[in-house]
Amino acid sequence: MLESFLASTIAMATPILLAALGELIVERSGVLNIGIEGAMLVAAFCGLAATYFSGSIALGLLAACAAAMALNALLALLVVNFAVNQVVAGTAIDILALGLTGVFYRQWFGVTGRAITIAPMRPIALGPLARIPLIGRALFDQSVLVYLAFALVPIVALAISCTRYGLELRAAGERPEAADALGLGVYRMRWQALMIAGVLSGLAGAYLTMAYSNTFVEGISAGRGYVALSVVIVGRWNAWGVGAASILFGAAIALQFGLQAFGSAIPYQFFLALPYALTLIVLAFMGGQADAPSALGEPYVRS
Amino acid sequence: MGGAIKWRIATMATSLGAIASAIAIISIVLLALGASPLAVFSDLWQGAFGNWLAATDTLVKSTPLVFTGLAIAIAFQGALWNIGADGQLIIGALAAGAIGPALGGWPHPIAIALMMAAGAAGGALWGGLAGWLRARREVNEVISTIMLNFVAVQILSWAVHGPLMEPSRSFPKSVTIAPTAQLAFYLEPSRLNVGMVLALVFAVGCHLGLFHSARGFELRAIGRNRRASAFFGIPIARITVAAMALSGALAGVGGAVQVSAITHRLYETMSPGWGYEAIAVALVARLNPLAIVPAAILFGALDNGSQAMQRADAVSPVLVNVIQGLVIIILVAFDAVAARGMRGALLGDAEGAVAASGAAAEAGDA
Amino acid sequence: MLSATAITRRFGRTLALDRVDFRAYPGEIHALVGENGAGKSTLINIFAGRLKPGSGTVALNGEALVTGSAHAALKAGIAAVYQSPMLFERMSWEENLALGGFGTRTLLNDLAGAAGRARTIAAGLGFKLPPDGAPVERRSVGERVRLEILRALSFEPRVLILDEPTGVLAPAELEAFVDTLRRLRAAGRIVVIITHKLAEAIAVADRVTVLRHGRVVATRTAGETSAAELARLMIGDVAASPTKSTKARLRTPDDSAPIAVHGAPALVVENLTLAGEGRRLLDGVSFSVAAGEIAGVAGVDGNGQRELVEVMAGLRKPTAGRLRVVPDRQALAVIAQNRDLDGLILDMPLWENLLLARAVRERFARRGWLQRSSAMAFCAGVLDRYPIRSAGAASLAAALSGGNRQRLAVARALAGDPRVLVVHDVCRGLDLHATAEVHRRLREFAAAGGAVLLISSDLDELMALSSSLHVMTRGRLVAATAADRDAERIGLLMSGAAAES
Repeated sequence: MLESFLASTIAMATPILLAALGELIVERSGVLNIGIEGAMLVAAFCGLAATYFSGSIALGLLAACAAAMALNALLALLVVNFAVNQVVAGTAIDILALGLTGVFYRQWFGVTGRAITIAPMRPIALGPLARIPLIGRALFDQSVLVYLAFALVPIVALAISCTRYGLELRAAGERPEAADALGLGVYRMRWQALMIAGVLSGLAGAYLTMAYSNTFVEGISAGRGYVALSVVIVGRWNAWGVGAASILFGAAIALQFGLQAFGSAIPYQFFLALPYALTLIVLAFMGGQADAPSALGEPYVRS
Repeated sequence: MGGAIKWRIATMATSLGAIASAIAIISIVLLALGASPLAVFSDLWQGAFGNWLAATDTLVKSTPLVFTGLAIAIAFQGALWNIGADGQLIIGALAAGAIGPALGGWPHPIAIALMMAAGAAGGALWGGLAGWLRARREVNEVISTIMLNFVAVQILSWAVHGPLMEPSRSFPKSVTIAPTAQLAFYLEPSRLNVGMVLALVFAVGCHLGLFHSARGFELRAIGRNRRASAFFGIPIARITVAAMALSGALAGVGGAVQVSAITHRLYETMSPGWGYEAIAVALVARLNPLAIVPAAILFGALDNGSQAMQRADAVSPVLVNVIQGLVIIILVAFDAVAARGMRGALLGDAEGAVAASGAAAEAGDA
Repeated sequence: MLSATAITRRFGRTLALDRVDFRAYPGEIHALVGENGAGKSTLINIFAGRLKPGSGTVALNGEALVTGSAHAALKAGIAAVYQSPMLFERMSWEENLALGGFGTRTLLNDLAGAAGRARTIAAGLGFKLPPDGAPVERRSVGERVRLEILRALSFEPRVLILDEPTGVLAPAELEAFVDTLRRLRAAGRIVVIITHKLAEAIAVADRVTVLRHGRVVATRTAGETSAAELARLMIGDVAASPTKSTKARLRTPDDSAPIAVHGAPALVVENLTLAGEGRRLLDGVSFSVAAGEIAGVAGVDGNGQRELVEVMAGLRKPTAGRLRVVPDRQALAVIAQNRDLDGLILDMPLWENLLLARAVRERFARRGWLQRSSAMAFCAGVLDRYPIRSAGAASLAAALSGGNRQRLAVARALAGDPRVLVVHDVCRGLDLHATAEVHRRLREFAAAGGAVLLISSDLDELMALSSSLHVMTRGRLVAATAADRDAERIGLLMSGAAAES
């Protein structure tokens, strides 16, 4: 039971972690991307559709990433080149994504009443490690996307704090005018960050329909993109914090499945609401913007 | 004076231009889907205004958009990004739907007033909570209001499956509200009701409050320049909470009107996403309460027409979401480009240009 | 050789630069002087790539430069240090310098290496560097300027451009700074400095170019001209306004100045302390200003003046101490230093900007409702009276020029009938005419019984207006006696306690 819960926790944490790592990079460059939710959603849909029509998981993953990157490119055009209000642009993209996936889903797959399914990615057990009691399944018998996600945590941490790229990225998020004056290229860096985040959101969305489940439902992202935003804040804008916070929220989502174990005394809606309520509570205590990149969310026009 | 009028016309033109561009893009999407844009749009139009019944239903469908649109406009004027109008509407509806059944013995006007008050209170609570979190805990209100949306949906679900469920327990819905608490239909079989009039009244009230009251001025000042407002002693925290509460209350009243006039009880889904649609409405209306009414009617027409479109052209009604998203994107893009051009034209001198170019404005040197 | 040929640049209707030709040679320190608005900043912004010229060319050693790109200018060897700091506050100084020319384009950062290279150069300049890993936001203004200069030098520029560099340096640091410039000159580089201090320009530079209304009026060899001549060239007529000079002796206030005998205290500050950023931003500040008095506060920017103003405005609460205004807090009006951030709301109409002052708001609000027409009429009256050139009470504040914006700010502050005025750098960026106007209003205000706290980094202004003088350093306020009222003494006071680590 506990073993199941732990395995679920890690599984549920993964899409959030992937999306949040991407958002971390983007926010460090100074952009607040509210549109993660939309990116995950289109990725989930396009990944499933591509796999369904081509029979290839690899193609599906590619399509998922491409879709998310396309949406992020639209956001980049709006908030970097046009310096539009980032909140409004991101929200518009979320609405757009909801509409596009809904329209195309119904158009391509019709309202047949039968879910479109594919053969999903199977988890890969890492040999004897997977048999360790209690944590074996959780840590060593998961989809390859899970391993990737957690492996990325130290990589992203290193990249941001110790590499030249990370230094320049942080400069863009601190004071874009100064960064541009030094020739660092703020527009370019923000575009790059959004493209990297596109790949990560793409993988996150793909995970939802191609690994964790094997079908698409409208609105399948269910707010995970917004949870990812909170994870970046709660994680204080560093990769390790993001990792830890993702696991926390993953656990909250995993609890939904534990409800059978807790009996029917607590209504199931409580568990469905738990991740969102928990996000609120944690933010209430840790939501301060003191550690945010100084120029986060401010439209910047290169003069 | 001339400048202000020109500005007004320009913004109206961009609103219309954005809608036109959205239609153009949608047409391309429709072609890609194998549907005929001409057929789709004419079906949309027919569905929205084709006959008397359709037209009145358009008004009915626009009513909640006026309320949520006002909610968004008020919040956005203070640079408070309230994405939670849906949740606020739901909680307002919940409150109204909860007391509705018990209002049997009250005179009709009082019962209605109580319903509205309950809606306002519920919405105010939901919005005010996010406002408080922003003011006192620096919690980004975009995230908090969205989270509250999800929580509100679950609370409603629990209520109609549980404590408020109607006695036969055959379907998740609540007990019907008392007849005195219901808003009657006029000119049946149309569903025209006083709700639209109420919406208009609130729109006028919001306009007066925003542009003719001291508090409204302070809210707008905060929305445009927070730091300067703080400098002049405008109580930012207090106004943030109050504005978010007011915003939530407006959405909540919208929910109460829905229960009172249309549904007469609570169901699992009380909002098809009005809270998000309202963002498009508010932006098209340039955050002006009076303009919210025609903007709401426009989007209400789209919603209404989309049902007919689905029947006739097999295009999912979710297409309107695409339209909403596109309209917002095109609008803000137009605005950004126009603002840069406008700023160059308005600020015809050195200091202004220095400010626009981001160089050290304080130096004042040119 | 750095050359600009026929540079023209417009901002909207204003002609900022009009067919300007400029030459600076290697091994030369070249000063650029002129009134505010003459075009100095625009010209160097074009050199440094921050602005594109409307027409004309810029060349370095005969090769035409790509304009409009700061990066291209850097690559070509032009580095600039501006008045407002362009450092990354939250990052350490090593990271800041690594982002300059001291860093390497390797995958992993080598902060130690960058710091080492910086230390070598700094040692040669006599600059002291902050402790290891210290974030820039805690450092003083002088240190930041030094870091900026270091960063500029890290690019080994052929041309170093400095915009009013000495304004933020304490007089004691000036010598080391001038020394640095001379060494750069000896190394064959070109140094261009903008300064409004004419005596300093002559003392430091080899040649001086005077700009007036966007045109080059004259270029003189420093040894063959005088501050007086430069002033004449700058202003353009002989019956000129007072020359600016840092060696000014005690200035006697002219006849319209308030009398020395003052009334009752109107503003009393006792032991005001504000802790923050790991130190005391305000440290036991105590003083009082009487009715009819203009109390001047001198000091290098960044020593607590901004924090003092913020506490006065109620934006920040002091950690300790009291502030008392007679008759009450409402009678205090503040004009902040940073106009665009703290002063006007640019996309609101003028009449609504006036409403920002609480006193004005209360005057035109009855039970919460605004009397729009009265407020607009009042605004129209204000625009007429000062006068402020605008398109009417309903036009946007963004459309006002800098000078007019400041006039509006002054009008707004006075509109509420305050008893105490706190003004911070109120004349920065204004031309001589507008400055004289503002000074006149301040004097009138004081003569009518108001109290003024004049916080300024302009010693001439302080000398001319204030009847009592204080100096602010490191968050502390020190009163200056009559004997101290000599610019050099003040300068020493400013720097004596401000000796950087």
